[in-house]
Amino acid sequence: MAELGRMIAKKEVSPVEVVRTHLARVTALDGKLRAFITVCGEQALAAARTAEAELMAGRAAGPLHGVPYGPKDLYNTKGVRTTGGSRILADAVPTEDSTVVARLAAAGLIVLGKLNMHEFAYGPEGLNAHYGDAMNPWDGGAHRVAGGSSSGSGVAVAAALCPGALGSDTGGSIRIPASLCGISGLKPTYGRVSRAGVLPLSWSMDHAGPMARTVEDCALMLRAMAGYDPADPTTSVLPVPDYAAALTGDVRGLRVGLLRAHFTDVAAAEVRAAVEKAAKTLEQAGAVVDEVGLAQIEHVPAAAFAVVATEALAYHAEWMRTRAADYQPDVRERLKLGAFVSGVHYVRAQQVRQLVRRDVDAALARRDVLLAPATPIPAPALGEKTTRLGDGPSDVRSALLRLTRPFNFSGHPACSVPCGFTSTGLPIGLQFVGRPFDEATVLRAGDAYQRLTEWRARRPVLA
Amino acid sequence: MLPPMEIDLDSMRSAVRLAGFDWSDAELEAIRPILERTLALLAQLEALRLSDLEPATQYRMV
Repeated sequence: MAELGRMIAKKEVSPVEVVRTHLARVTALDGKLRAFITVCGEQALAAARTAEAELMAGRAAGPLHGVPYGPKDLYNTKGVRTTGGSRILADAVPTEDSTVVARLAAAGLIVLGKLNMHEFAYGPEGLNAHYGDAMNPWDGGAHRVAGGSSSGSGVAVAAALCPGALGSDTGGSIRIPASLCGISGLKPTYGRVSRAGVLPLSWSMDHAGPMARTVEDCALMLRAMAGYDPADPTTSVLPVPDYAAALTGDVRGLRVGLLRAHFTDVAAAEVRAAVEKAAKTLEQAGAVVDEVGLAQIEHVPAAAFAVVATEALAYHAEWMRTRAADYQPDVRERLKLGAFVSGVHYVRAQQVRQLVRRDVDAALARRDVLLAPATPIPAPALGEKTTRLGDGPSDVRSALLRLTRPFNFSGHPACSVPCGFTSTGLPIGLQFVGRPFDEATVLRAGDAYQRLTEWRARRPVLA
Repeated sequence: MLPPMEIDLDSMRSAVRLAGFDWSDAELEAIRPILERTLALLAQLEALRLSDLEPATQYRMV
């Protein structure tokens, strides 16, 4: 995105050409990849012509003016249906943009189309029974999941159908597809980016954030998206820094805590090796790396389940009474489980949340960032239900959520960047976690790592 | 994986009725295996000593 923005600003390429090229790629490839639920061809071309005229008149709105992107199909878009990946909202056409989409439009970005997702964002695999499963582009031979719930966002960026995307992250739904699809994705601090006009899964765990090829792209998108929004009372009034200016490429003296036990030690061998190598790479560049554990982390699965299941069922209660048959089976089942979570469970879970936040804060008191795999396993095959973590079995869903969900629960910012590939060619994601509202350091560390390595440059082979 | 915690159909019916749903016995039976594993997970919360800790019911970072 950054490079396209620079080329557009220098008039080396026009926004219209850029949009046409991406639309042609969508036409050629998306029948198989299924990254898009709705393609906004005419609207995107019209917006590109407008952007071109603005740029020719010297009215550049920012470094991404004229660059196309795709919002996950739970961001309200005025006049364009917003399905949430569901049959229930298949024909729902919002009358207003979500705050984030409006802010990106004000920064000159162009909506290319609405991206596929796990129905109502309730699943880390990225499956969709209504619009088809988005296909992980890294394995054309076997259908592997893209990761979710922002599956279309991961696939669209990895396959270069659009240069950037919006995801949402309740348990890892930005970082999981970023990890499995080999791209970068940032879950900002809770309260950094407005959720107004974004279909909720769990109000207190949902985060809106950018997904793109590089950390620099995420930094540019975040600058345009973030900030206080009166329509979302959880947003912070803290000023929004120039995140791109923080990307110095310098990690000398950066204090990095490699998360052990729950995080690195149970990951698949190739994942663990890639993350440990990444820690060495940072150390060789001047970072100060040590190891750290989070004592309260074992309570996260139960507590996060209690919070998400309760809040999700509260949002979906009316449809679960009147249109339950219209949900895809796994989502319907998960929503039903929320009926068995008591008020006591919910409050105890919110108490655990304080424990976990203190635990992460303590680990970051003497460190600038924490380091861990984003997912302990690479992309599973479609239909794969169980895997192994360490010496024991785990269901795939729990495994995918294991390393990302703690930071939805605590609210700390975290990003995933590619840090290698398995012997079978599947991407591996590295997660950086930072202090509340210190996205600048998270992005600086991730960007520096990307400058030190070439993983981000690798592209999937597409027919 | 945790061992499941048994729950009978009557208890399931009562819980969903209290929550305002009218799901059939067949639907409840279908989710019983996963519910039993879920209840075992939730039981972990009951075992924690948390009485002095303020819950994050109003969650703001700043």
